[in-house]
Amino acid sequence: MRGLIWIGASILGVVMVLSMVTFTVDETNQAVVVRMGEPVRVVKEPGLHFKLPFPVETVHKFDRRLLEYDSAPAQIYTKDKKNLIVDNYARWRIVDPLAFLKTVRTEAGALSRLDDIVYAVLREELGRHTLSEVVAKNRELIMRTVTQKCDAATEKLGIEVVDVRIKRADLPKENERYVFDRMRAERHKMANQYRSEGEEMALKIRAQTDLEKRRILAEAYRKAEEIKGEGDAEASRIYAEAYRKDPEFYAFIRSLQAYDAVMDSSTVLVLPPEGPFFRYLRR
Amino acid sequence: MLRPDFERNPRLDFEFNRRIPYYILAGLAFLWLLSGIYIVGPDEQGVVRRFGRMVRVVGPGPHWHLPFPIEKVDVPKVTEVRRIEIGFRTVHPGPPARYVDVPEEALMLTGDENIVHCEVVVQYRIKDSPKYLFNVRGQRELVKDASEAALRQVIGRHKIDEVLTEKKSEIQQEIQKKLQELMDLYDAGISIVLVKFQDVRAPKEVDAAFKDVASAREDRERLVQEAEAYRNDVLPKARGQAEKMIKEAEAYKIERVQRAKGDVARFLAMLREYRRAKEVTKTRLYIETMERVLPRVKKYIVEGKGTLNLLPLEKVVRGGAR
Repeated sequence: MRGLIWIGASILGVVMVLSMVTFTVDETNQAVVVRMGEPVRVVKEPGLHFKLPFPVETVHKFDRRLLEYDSAPAQIYTKDKKNLIVDNYARWRIVDPLAFLKTVRTEAGALSRLDDIVYAVLREELGRHTLSEVVAKNRELIMRTVTQKCDAATEKLGIEVVDVRIKRADLPKENERYVFDRMRAERHKMANQYRSEGEEMALKIRAQTDLEKRRILAEAYRKAEEIKGEGDAEASRIYAEAYRKDPEFYAFIRSLQAYDAVMDSSTVLVLPPEGPFFRYLRR
Repeated sequence: MLRPDFERNPRLDFEFNRRIPYYILAGLAFLWLLSGIYIVGPDEQGVVRRFGRMVRVVGPGPHWHLPFPIEKVDVPKVTEVRRIEIGFRTVHPGPPARYVDVPEEALMLTGDENIVHCEVVVQYRIKDSPKYLFNVRGQRELVKDASEAALRQVIGRHKIDEVLTEKKSEIQQEIQKKLQELMDLYDAGISIVLVKFQDVRAPKEVDAAFKDVASAREDRERLVQEAEAYRNDVLPKARGQAEKMIKEAEAYKIERVQRAKGDVARFLAMLREYRRAKEVTKTRLYIETMERVLPRVKKYIVEGKGTLNLLPLEKVVRGGAR
């Protein structure tokens, strides 16, 4: 039984001593060792570390990770006097825990300082650019400048500002209405343009169609007349070639045919009996 | 179970009783060691820290680590795809799924100072679990904030019509690229799997005007279609008519030529006969014609010269006409 007490006591003792002279630093942490109120060293290496027992040395741990900061949306004026509601966020980390401990002590303290700095820098920087630069053209550049300035301003706090970024940059409600009016007007213009374009194209197509139609018919007329002419010429040539063989006989026979065709019951013929037809009558 | 028998062997019993606490201690120690056993699921990775310091990363399967407080393990799900919604929230996964809009997230300015309503889904997963676990605090918030920033930044670079129609997929890729850049800048161990527009539209305040543009575009199409229908109706008919005119002309030509040939053939035949007996034929033709013509006309056979004007010609003609 005594042996057991011995073992128990010694384990307990070792654990107690160890816990007094060691401390662990997590991957997510870093620590400042303070001896009698005086910071003596910074431990950034994760793992098991030694220290003098309490109350000689105490350990302050700080987060080593990238930390969040989300500001409340704020009204900011751009260079062209336009009003923007800007909601930004920042990501930062404690790089110098000693400076951090001396200046702001806690994350809450750091956040309130950060709030002032980021807001001031952002306000100043956005005031140098027009709305369209902020929204469209230079966003990345502006963000980088803001980040650099914030970083420089927070250096003595032991803080590195990794990134400041505009999450939202929107117009205030009353300006929004103005934008909606403008959008409606633009769309109205576009709709009208589409409809007019439609009519334009339709008219063009119809006009072109009418032209084509008249061209087709005119060409057909020309061709038809040419063909008819050819027919007439050909017929004429055939007639002439044949009738040339005996013009006198042609005149005779054609005249007879014409008499036959021309004379009807309304024709009055006054014939002298000397005519060839009555030659034998007179005898 | 192990009930010591005092009667039979008191000495042995005493020995045994003295050892019980040691057994208990050994058992506790054994249990303590057992507490280090853990299982990493197929979708997980085990990240082991010894006194806070990362010492190893292990894959799926059963593993053992030095028990608390020496080592501890995190098992993040590394294959799981996580999802963030911007501009809307799924309130009921369905089916049918139900959503609510979050207008302050969804409405944003475009490059031409219009306002557009975007709903976006961002999917991400852990790329590097130690970085994911130890480099950032509030990973989900980080992805959310960065997504909103990237979304607005990219939309701000484009005109509203590009966002609404033509360049949608390019914009999605641009946002994803930007977001991944931010994740790499923050060294967050996060990989952006997908950025996808769930819905992109004009804000409801101006929705009617946008719809009217769409219908105007359809009107334009319709007018053009109608004109083309007119063309397709008119031109074939015109071509048909043209063909008809030409065919008629050709028919006329054939007619003329054939008739001429016919007439000529007849003439030549007669001429041949005529040449054989000129006077007789001539006389015969003359008399035959007269025979045909004279019966149907009014005939006056008048003797002598210069008597024609004595005849009551008008009366004759009128009578003949009657």
